[in-house]
Amino acid sequence: MANKSTKSKKTILIVDDSELNRSLLSDMLFDDFNIIEAEDGTEAVMILQEHELEISLILLDIVMPKMDGFEVLAMMNKKGWINTIPVIMISAETGSAYIDRAYDLGAVDYISRPFDERTVKHRVMSNFMLALKQKEMADILSEQVYARERDSRLMVEILSHIVEFRNGESGMHILHVSTFTEMILKHLMLITDKYNLSKADIKVIVNASALHDIGKMSVPENILNKPGRLTQEEFEIMKCHAAEGAKLLADIPYRNNETLIRVGEQICRWHHERWDGRGYPDGLKEDEIPIGAQVVALADVYDALTSKRVYKPGFTHEKAVEMIQNGECGAFNPLILQCLDDIKDDLRSALHMESPSQNLDRGTRANVEDILKTSGGDVSNRTVRLLEHERMKFSFYASLSREVMFEYVNSPEMILLTDYSSEYLELPEKILNPAESEFGSRVFNRKDFDQLLTRVKNSTPESPIVEGKYLLNIRGEQKWNKVIVRALWSNDGEQPEFEGALGKCIDITEETEEIQQLEVLADRDQITNLFNARAAKRKISKKLAAQSEKLYALVFFDLDNLKKANDKHGHLFGNELIMAIADRMLSNTRSSDICARFGGDEFVIFMQYKDKHQIDRIFNCLTKDLNGFPVSVSMGIALSNECNGDYDKLLHMADQAAYSVKYGGKNSYKFFSDLTGSGGGLLEN
Amino acid sequence: MTVEECYEKMGGGYADVTSRLRTDERIKRFLLKVVDDASFNNLCENLAAHNIEEAFRAAHTLKGVCSNLSLTMLFHSASAITEVLRGKTEYSEEFEQYLERVKEDYIVTMECIKNLD
Repeated sequence: MANKSTKSKKTILIVDDSELNRSLLSDMLFDDFNIIEAEDGTEAVMILQEHELEISLILLDIVMPKMDGFEVLAMMNKKGWINTIPVIMISAETGSAYIDRAYDLGAVDYISRPFDERTVKHRVMSNFMLALKQKEMADILSEQVYARERDSRLMVEILSHIVEFRNGESGMHILHVSTFTEMILKHLMLITDKYNLSKADIKVIVNASALHDIGKMSVPENILNKPGRLTQEEFEIMKCHAAEGAKLLADIPYRNNETLIRVGEQICRWHHERWDGRGYPDGLKEDEIPIGAQVVALADVYDALTSKRVYKPGFTHEKAVEMIQNGECGAFNPLILQCLDDIKDDLRSALHMESPSQNLDRGTRANVEDILKTSGGDVSNRTVRLLEHERMKFSFYASLSREVMFEYVNSPEMILLTDYSSEYLELPEKILNPAESEFGSRVFNRKDFDQLLTRVKNSTPESPIVEGKYLLNIRGEQKWNKVIVRALWSNDGEQPEFEGALGKCIDITEETEEIQQLEVLADRDQITNLFNARAAKRKISKKLAAQSEKLYALVFFDLDNLKKANDKHGHLFGNELIMAIADRMLSNTRSSDICARFGGDEFVIFMQYKDKHQIDRIFNCLTKDLNGFPVSVSMGIALSNECNGDYDKLLHMADQAAYSVKYGGKNSYKFFSDLTGSGGGLLEN
Repeated sequence: MTVEECYEKMGGGYADVTSRLRTDERIKRFLLKVVDDASFNNLCENLAAHNIEEAFRAAHTLKGVCSNLSLTMLFHSASAITEVLRGKTEYSEEFEQYLERVKEDYIVTMECIKNLD
């Protein structure tokens, strides 16, 4: 049987309550598809909820418990899944009412039982290809519509820019006029139905508005760009630009039926008419003037007021609106003036705050979206909506978790931080060239960062998660963090490619400190705070194992008369004695030496050995009187060169020596090497 | 017993099933699954408990399974009870005679399948 990579195969969802039926279908299809099975409608809906984008086709039974096939179809309609996932019904029910109902609910095809392998394969394959083609066509269409829309706007802009160029105007005038016109017209449609413009009509007016001054091509340059006021005669010539513009458009051969040309003519000719009939060239009044020309006239005046000219400064938005409302700059339709008043704040931000190209691009996009929506291609929308949903979910969880989260993008190489992380680390949200950045070289130690990245890149799609403990520098403080990173591998194509990674840093400083404290506690004797036997063994063994040239002595002793002290002076005094001994041990050894209490009255000192005087001094210090009470110890000493690195052996030797002292008169010390039978026998001291 | 002999004995359509499912190997594999299929038991239990809607679904599933494997004889009795139960909510004595027929056919069918090589 062919064993193609499961990743390149498309996924089919089979929904049927009979396990046997499902496996029969799956047996027929598993060569060419990945199969997911659901045993009833509710399970199918749950799977769709989770894997919507992966599922290419559904085979759906009708009669099922819990939720039947029709209910699944209804749900798919409600959720919009039906628009992109083809559904083929399967059932023994061949009644036409059943089939009709399934078709009405959006099913694309129908396979009746009993299944025939060729039929099943053929229907599935052809419906799958059809859906694929449809999606491709929708993508191509949207690309083309977008390109066309952009090109036509571009042409109009080039044309108008030529006019502006000759005018010595800013280059922004046309853009401002068209944005202004569009916003006013849209609002006008909200407050009155007097003019009844469709979205398409508005679009034509907005496009044509760019042409309003093309008649200026016929005005001599010395008048057009005269720095001072025009004479009456010059002004008359200037006024001709309105009628000239209209004529220019009307003379375009064969095109006089185009809406854009017709509306353009109106706008050119009448954008200097006035509501009160005192404008030019025709002295039209009120609604004799086409609504498009009325709005462009206002837009033109507004932009002239707010722009700087040779002979005047640019007024502020507020001042310009005020001058217009006061009737200082002509007479306008009261409804349009109301629009201006209603949306003046939006106008200000649209015209003076955003970059016009941004604005323009958005306009084009919005147009394309409009076109696609009305023609029913809602394909990309759904994906966008889903992504938006995911993004919202993520940012919500991220803001709750109060942890540093980041995304690593492989190409172009950068780190993206969540809002919270960026604030917390005091770094920008987007960090290019991360290794060299504050993130890779300050927050992380540069070496750690490189090492972590290498580990992530060396992970596999099967086990993409890497974690480690790193000391991070967070706002100047060293903090232990557990860093977990999940590599993202592309799953199309044969060879998985590393695309980036998601990561999270969890502050474990407190946790680590707590553990360290617990470790300290576990190592200490409760009364004296010396090491206990277990810790002493571990530490001493470590030193013995280090195989240095150093010679160590293990000194083992017990108090000869602790019991007597307890009996005579009470337990408190006994404790005091033990603590005094501990103090004396610590103050007569170096910090690198190991002092321990083995419980009861037994103590150990492990130290670098110099000579017998060293031992003598310690013995004398330990056995000084305490508040008049004579302190007596039996002490045995063993040297590390006799034990072969074996701690237990060393301890045993010291213990033996101490034992020998205890039963030889107490209150003295002895070296193991001096015991009878081990080469010595001399009693020290 | 070969697959073909088995079909002959249990009143199935061997020619039909091979034209659709292609190989004896696959047919046999799915016949053996019929033995484990729960729909017959579901039918009996739900009818006994007077859960008529559930009983209908079970009968319907059994019918579907039979049709897929061209178990013609059992298919007919399963179809008959499916139609009798369709749309019903109340138990009725008359269901029992239909169930009896399904049972008889089911036993024969199972016997044959179990004796497959």
